[in-house]
Amino acid sequence: MKSLRQDWFSNVRNDLLAGVVVALALIPEAIAFSIIAGVDPKVGLYASFCIATVIAFTGGRPGMVSAATGAMALLMVTLVKDHGLQYLLAATILTGVLQILAGFLRLGVLMRFVSRSVVTGFVNALAILIFIAQLPELTNVTWHVYAMTAAGLGIIYLFPYVTRAIPSPLVTIVVLTAVAIVLDLDIRNVGDMGQLPDSLPVFLIPDIPLNFETLAIIFPYSLTLMVVGLLESLMTATIVDDLTDTPSNKNRECVGQGVANIASGFVGGMAGCAMIGQSVINIKSGGRGRLSTLAAGVFLLLMVVFLGDWVAQIPMAALVAVMIMVAIGTFNWGSIRNMKEHPPSSTIVMLATVVVTVLTHDLAQGVLVGVLASGFFFAHKVGRILHIRSSSEEEGRTRRYTISGQVFFASADRFVASFDFKEVIEKVVIDVSRAHFWDITAVSALDKVVVKFRREGTEVDVVGLNEASATMVDKFGVHDKDGAEDLLMGH
Amino acid sequence: MNKQDKKVLACVDQSHFADTVADYAAWAARRLDAPLEFLHVIDRHLEQGSGEDHSGAIGINAQEHLLSNLSDKDAAIARAKREQGRIFLNRLRERALAAGAPSADMRQRHGALDDTLAEQEDSVRLFVFGRRGASAETTQRDLGRNVERVVRAVHKPILTVTEGFKEPARVMLAFDGTAVTRKGVDMIANSPLFKGLPIHIVMAGNESADAPKQIAWAKDALTAAGFEVVADILPGDPEAVIAREIKARNIDMLLMGAYAHSPLRALVFGSKTTDLLRAATIPTLLLR
Repeated sequence: MKSLRQDWFSNVRNDLLAGVVVALALIPEAIAFSIIAGVDPKVGLYASFCIATVIAFTGGRPGMVSAATGAMALLMVTLVKDHGLQYLLAATILTGVLQILAGFLRLGVLMRFVSRSVVTGFVNALAILIFIAQLPELTNVTWHVYAMTAAGLGIIYLFPYVTRAIPSPLVTIVVLTAVAIVLDLDIRNVGDMGQLPDSLPVFLIPDIPLNFETLAIIFPYSLTLMVVGLLESLMTATIVDDLTDTPSNKNRECVGQGVANIASGFVGGMAGCAMIGQSVINIKSGGRGRLSTLAAGVFLLLMVVFLGDWVAQIPMAALVAVMIMVAIGTFNWGSIRNMKEHPPSSTIVMLATVVVTVLTHDLAQGVLVGVLASGFFFAHKVGRILHIRSSSEEEGRTRRYTISGQVFFASADRFVASFDFKEVIEKVVIDVSRAHFWDITAVSALDKVVVKFRREGTEVDVVGLNEASATMVDKFGVHDKDGAEDLLMGH
Repeated sequence: MNKQDKKVLACVDQSHFADTVADYAAWAARRLDAPLEFLHVIDRHLEQGSGEDHSGAIGINAQEHLLSNLSDKDAAIARAKREQGRIFLNRLRERALAAGAPSADMRQRHGALDDTLAEQEDSVRLFVFGRRGASAETTQRDLGRNVERVVRAVHKPILTVTEGFKEPARVMLAFDGTAVTRKGVDMIANSPLFKGLPIHIVMAGNESADAPKQIAWAKDALTAAGFEVVADILPGDPEAVIAREIKARNIDMLLMGAYAHSPLRALVFGSKTTDLLRAATIPTLLLR
């Protein structure tokens, strides 16, 4: 009861105003992303309306804006090209189902394996892809288009110095549309890109054969859409958490994204997710509650349905200017400066994520490479925490090796290499009580050492293996028990 | 924690009711020989945006700029409120010490009032709380909007006060035989808070069969604890009867059970506690 009031009605005036600002900024984006995906603008506009409205109720992060996004649109290109819109709608619904499953399985916790550098890489790659997607509109065109785009960018960035009461992207669109109509310029406009909505969305079931073959076509797409959608949504949720200093429910957000995508698929919309740029605009304009997202969706639909004829007149150059702004606003410019200061490994992870994403146009693959790379670097670093000391005892009859640190696949070779097998000695004591054996590789490395010494006729005594191998959680599961901490930290 | 170490927590906001809260809290702390702490809760209203910038434009490093803007703004507000609250609390602390509180401490916390009190509850023996607060100047209600929420959030006795301090000399217990008021009888019997004061036990409403037995039990329990007790069963509407008797007998403080029913039931049937709090204009100790 209290949270219901707090989520919805604690910030009414600002939420409604911010909703209008966001709706105005969403229209060009939804159209632009439909064009990226290769579908009519109405698919993106219906999706944006539907996702924004549904997520207002089902989402776990009040104040975050979700709609049709570039990250998702890029993944659908080949599906639309090869199989058509109906399969896209079916894939959208399946994406929603998978996201709900992910929410119930609490897969949101996997986000902790996505390091800061991967997130930065994701955001930068997204900005670059949004920018690249604008290039077709800027190649093989007359100088009018360049002039219009430049003028558009000028208005977007300079108009806020005049007044911040009216959204500058809206001013850009209105001015450029008026110029194009008055001068009767022969340049491409939104109407040339496909059908716009002429009515409120209606419920429809995708026209596809319900068989295994269809599933085989759409499932891979749905899987990547699910991953990318949840990644971007959870990342954005964290950003909004930080900006507003309030917590969010990540698992509810996963389920909410799923419900919104299912709804979008059934009204003829494409899959979407949370949007970083739009969420920043919403927070900046004072939006905090669920009402802001709902207002954005409803205003968007009203404007598009009732101003459809005018929307068709918007020159593509105006949209390109808005999208360049989104790309610039999304890119993490600080990360370029940080390259010098941050450790090289994190820069490499960030760049790997960017490069793979830009090459494949698939954020899921980029993130996968980034996560694997950060895993390698981490293993490499931790593998260096291994110290082996040796000293002779009993007047040169015995040598004692004292191992401390982490022994696992990345450090096992170094572990083996630190023993002197050529030494002629009666007995070797290997004290591993201050070491942690993390996996089978570590244990077999120790076996190897023992066998090698025995071949030389040396007697081997291993001390403290029980303590050392207590960290092999798979086998003993000590982490769940009392005193596990002492075992791990104590020696 | 030892029961003796548990504190009297005076919850104040920046209104003139705070002086009364401080006086009663000092009185209670003196009688209980308990440490007194003043709590000022600063609600930051994070759910509200500022919304001056509707430009819709995002430039280079938009997110970092926005984050530093918002946190700078929050920081400035928090600093100003903190300083203001500190000076205000210091004044109340002096006042309580002058009124004879054995010790007085102060604390400011961020958060919602009810959540904060629920968190603090374990170390508290008695809450003291104004029935109206800072918004009383601007609204007409005779019971502040926080009262019911706060009372429901905690499970320790709460002394809710109105304006103006008068050292309690005669105390009335609104007794209805329920578990919570029986617990109240035990509490009075064992607590030094009312030691030496005459206690009036009033049972109002339609007489039930075992009412005399219950009130006799209460009277015996308090008499055994050394109190001077007057016990009566009076027919009529409880609020009206109790409000009338308070005036007639010149009572200074009322004790009663509070909000035993669910909020939903209160929404439909109204709450006896709320009605009584409106009707009785004297400080009221609510038993949970």
